[in-house]
Amino acid sequence: MSRLYIPLLLVLIFVFEGVAYEFIPADITQRDLFIIAHWTFVFLVLMALFYDMEYTYYSILAAVIIGLMTDIAYTNIIGVYMFIYALVIYFIHGIRKLLHANFFVAFLLTILGVALVDMGISFVYSFIGVNNMPLTGYMVYRLVPTLIANAIAFIVFYIIFKSRLVKWATVRFDNKK
Amino acid sequence: MFFFRRKRLFTILIGIIILVGLIGFSIQERDHITAPEQFVKDATGWLQQAIHTPVDYVTNVFSNIDDVKNVYQENQQLKESLEQYQQTLYEVQELRKENEELTSIIDKTESDSLSSYNPIQASVISRSPEKWFKQVTINKGKQDGVEKNMAVITGTGMIGKIQTVSQFSSTILLLNGFDRSNRISVNVNIADQDEDASGFILGYDEDRKALLLEFTDYNEAVKAGEFVFSSGLGGVFPKGLEIGEVQEVTTDQYGLTQIAYVKPSSDLTDLQHVIVVDRVMDNASDSQQEEEE
Repeated sequence: MSRLYIPLLLVLIFVFEGVAYEFIPADITQRDLFIIAHWTFVFLVLMALFYDMEYTYYSILAAVIIGLMTDIAYTNIIGVYMFIYALVIYFIHGIRKLLHANFFVAFLLTILGVALVDMGISFVYSFIGVNNMPLTGYMVYRLVPTLIANAIAFIVFYIIFKSRLVKWATVRFDNKK
Repeated sequence: MFFFRRKRLFTILIGIIILVGLIGFSIQERDHITAPEQFVKDATGWLQQAIHTPVDYVTNVFSNIDDVKNVYQENQQLKESLEQYQQTLYEVQELRKENEELTSIIDKTESDSLSSYNPIQASVISRSPEKWFKQVTINKGKQDGVEKNMAVITGTGMIGKIQTVSQFSSTILLLNGFDRSNRISVNVNIADQDEDASGFILGYDEDRKALLLEFTDYNEAVKAGEFVFSSGLGGVFPKGLEIGEVQEVTTDQYGLTQIAYVKPSSDLTDLQHVIVVDRVMDNASDSQQEEEE
């Protein structure tokens, strides 16, 4: 049963990303700030750190699927989110062997991951011509607000999901042995 | 260990090839999106609506409470303006009657008119979190008669056009995401003259937060504050949809053509209910296709 929770949660967060933008007050979104919600990605980082074992790669599979869905539903260009999400989650999955997963490590890895994801996406989009923002403007108006917004999302997700993810992982992977 | 590293590099390279392939596939102008894409869009659209409806209800309750506070004052103002409207209403009725009589004299049926359209009511259910894509999703799709390139309006004016259509949902490209590939043919209403100035909306200026209008002819009489309407000559949108108000009239960087900055008349950030405009007259591209067939 607990196998179903994670895909369901991911889809729910994914759907909520789009709906939330309709309800954020206009005077926040109307400013020049670009606040991009990478909430599914934040959840995927938590999943890579606390759910996956060293030999399982469910978080990367989930990153590919959710990235593809984000591409289709929220942008016109397929492949960008899919590739970048999967690549960064793979990187975080690899780095977790070296570090002990606690709150601060998870927080730093999320910030690093979101920064990598956002810069990667902007980099690819600048090739295609979707993004024509100069680099300094990008740093001030998009990267920093996005990082802050996603750090808040991370704290909320960590409080709600961390212990549950660990529990689901033990239920799932200990039964196998 | 060496083997694993090569395998890893190999996978990433294949990933990049797939990425480039998918981007190349999806960036081209497509008339229809593929069935899997439609499925994902419809499924997320359905879920979004399921979440959107209760949240919308709650926010509505709160905004209603907010409204009730000012009811008395507003009521007084409305009563005053109502009296003025009676007068205009009478005038409109007279004009409409006269218009009908005149059109019947010259045997012009309703469907011949560029300005007539069938409205399709829709609600906005989500907005793209990626802000570079100025797109929102609505809950009406092909099954409700929505087609690609139809204009989308609210009560105050035009907000964009339909970008992609799935069976039960579709995405709108907002006015501030327009570029040269989707220009709008417009007329500027000039108060002192009988004739309108015509031109094209060429795109959106991010810094000024205004649409860029290029006039076909040089026209001295265009001033700031005039209203801009779609002319219906572009072949896609009906005539007479309000687009915005002229902010400033200048010339382009070479001083050859006259341009104007147009402030969109509807608020593009706060959208709830929109109307998809189904033009009664055949689209230029449709009739072309029929001829080819």
